[in-house]
Amino acid sequence: MSSVIKKRYSLLPGETGKFAGILSGFILLLAVLPILTMIVMSFSGSSNLDFPPSSYSLQWYKAAWHTFVSPDASDVLSLGKAMTTSLMVSCLTMVFATIIAVPAAYALTRCEFRGKAVALQLMSLPLVFPMVVLGLALLLVFDSLPFQMTTSRLVIAHVILALPFVVKNCTAAMLSIGSEVEEAAQMLGASPTRAIIDVVVPLMKSGILAGMLLAFIVSFNEFTVTYFLYTIDVMTVPIWMYSRTVSSLDPTVFSFAVLIVLIDFVLIWALEKLVGEGGVSF
Amino acid sequence: MEHQPLTHPVDAAPVRANRGVSPTTRAWFFLTPSMLFLGVLIAASLLVLRMSVGTKGAEWTGFSLASYAQLLEPYYLKSLLLTLRLALISAVIAVVLAIPVAYTMSRLTSPFVRRIFLAAVLLPLLVNLLLQSYGWLVILGPGGMLNQALMGLGLIKRPIMLLYNQNGVLMGLVQTAFPLAVLPIASAMRGVARTYEEAAATLGASRFQVFRQVVLPMSFPGIITGATLVFAYNASSFVVPLLLGGRRVPMLAVMVHDQIAPLMNWPAASAAGVVLIVTTLAIMTLSEYITGRRRRMLEASQ
Repeated sequence: MSSVIKKRYSLLPGETGKFAGILSGFILLLAVLPILTMIVMSFSGSSNLDFPPSSYSLQWYKAAWHTFVSPDASDVLSLGKAMTTSLMVSCLTMVFATIIAVPAAYALTRCEFRGKAVALQLMSLPLVFPMVVLGLALLLVFDSLPFQMTTSRLVIAHVILALPFVVKNCTAAMLSIGSEVEEAAQMLGASPTRAIIDVVVPLMKSGILAGMLLAFIVSFNEFTVTYFLYTIDVMTVPIWMYSRTVSSLDPTVFSFAVLIVLIDFVLIWALEKLVGEGGVSF
Repeated sequence: MEHQPLTHPVDAAPVRANRGVSPTTRAWFFLTPSMLFLGVLIAASLLVLRMSVGTKGAEWTGFSLASYAQLLEPYYLKSLLLTLRLALISAVIAVVLAIPVAYTMSRLTSPFVRRIFLAAVLLPLLVNLLLQSYGWLVILGPGGMLNQALMGLGLIKRPIMLLYNQNGVLMGLVQTAFPLAVLPIASAMRGVARTYEEAAATLGASRFQVFRQVVLPMSFPGIITGATLVFAYNASSFVVPLLLGGRRVPMLAVMVHDQIAPLMNWPAASAAGVVLIVTTLAIMTLSEYITGRRRRMLEASQ
């Protein structure tokens, strides 16, 4: 049957033609154009923002390095400190989001229980919840607490934001395992908890890792909610960059931006390798 | 030897007793840690709701609907309409652009090309919106790429103003929310089995007809989901209007922040926030209703 079709058409039905391929490639190019532009601009040799730059040099990278090693006194906070905060918040977010998401994913895939539909809805709530309102709401909560929280409130906010991504990936990984391995482990005498820890979790390792990476990326790039919650001493890198460019655009920012995009790209590439064929779950 | 299988169920008995806890209790026990975090979100939203009916100065004790009444003033009403309009237009444009990309992605066979495509889709979603807005500043500026291209093509004589108005903001909104349209549509299209396309082709449909009359209708729920996500995401967009709109495109989310940062008017900010939540929930419910009906129809017809 399919060989008959193959003879009649040069392309099998269900395969996209050249036109669709080129069109989608072009649209995707537009989608990443701002990022590409920024990368080109970071190599600019002139000091204005004309595109394409009249000459190319590494001057902005040098300036950026200079800012990094010997911060100006005018800066409210050094980049190094912002970087440390950012990495710490992202790592903590990654760890906490994963620890709480794995049992949740287990409950959502393996158990039939009352209120499951509600739980599923709640899990995806942070994805659609307006970020500005989340920032405002958390600011209200944390400001009404009798004690001060600085870094921890950023972590709590980021865990809420990253949770749906991690849960989705863990759920997808758990669905692909099937409950028979767990039952086999229990028949061989493992307690339910041991069956989960020693059998299910190692099998869904790639899903968990993908979720962890996504949590890190989400936290590392978060701006809106953090913008409501940051304090002068505790800033993440995006906030630090915004505070530098709030009055005028400083091209050294582009070289920092390229560094961040590079980190993001490597993480996304690793993520795709981990998750493989199925694609990242959102 | 023969007793071995008999002893086992005895061994397993405590395990079963352990499972004797109702499955609902067990499941909610596993869900507790994540629900604690989501509980913070819910509690915080309720606080916003309470705050929105407070009065300035006596936020927690007063009660008045003044903040909501203020939202009906022309300035705020215009901001609300502007937000809804930009979100709607950006959702339509993003979906139209996403359909060919999603179709190509769902039919890619080379793993390497697929990874490149997926990376290009994910980057605009995951890379810090602030950085992407910097890129847009360069593209849209008076001496920027787009103006030079348009002048090169002879379409315009002098650079046109693209930054700090609705056009620039709209472009930014479409680009940053584009992945949210592509991902659900691509997954819906992946779900359309090739056999349908083959059947249509065998019956004499052209490639375009197959796409238009088979693939597109069958992935309709994905398209609606994509449009909804873009709309909801952009209705509460903050960074793009802040950076690309300057102060001239007052979308609702920017207003929420303005009410706090310079004005310290918590009730007004909360009321605007409540409007944002209600808008989002309404559009999500509507979309759920449409896709649910459509899915049942598709299932019934199969």
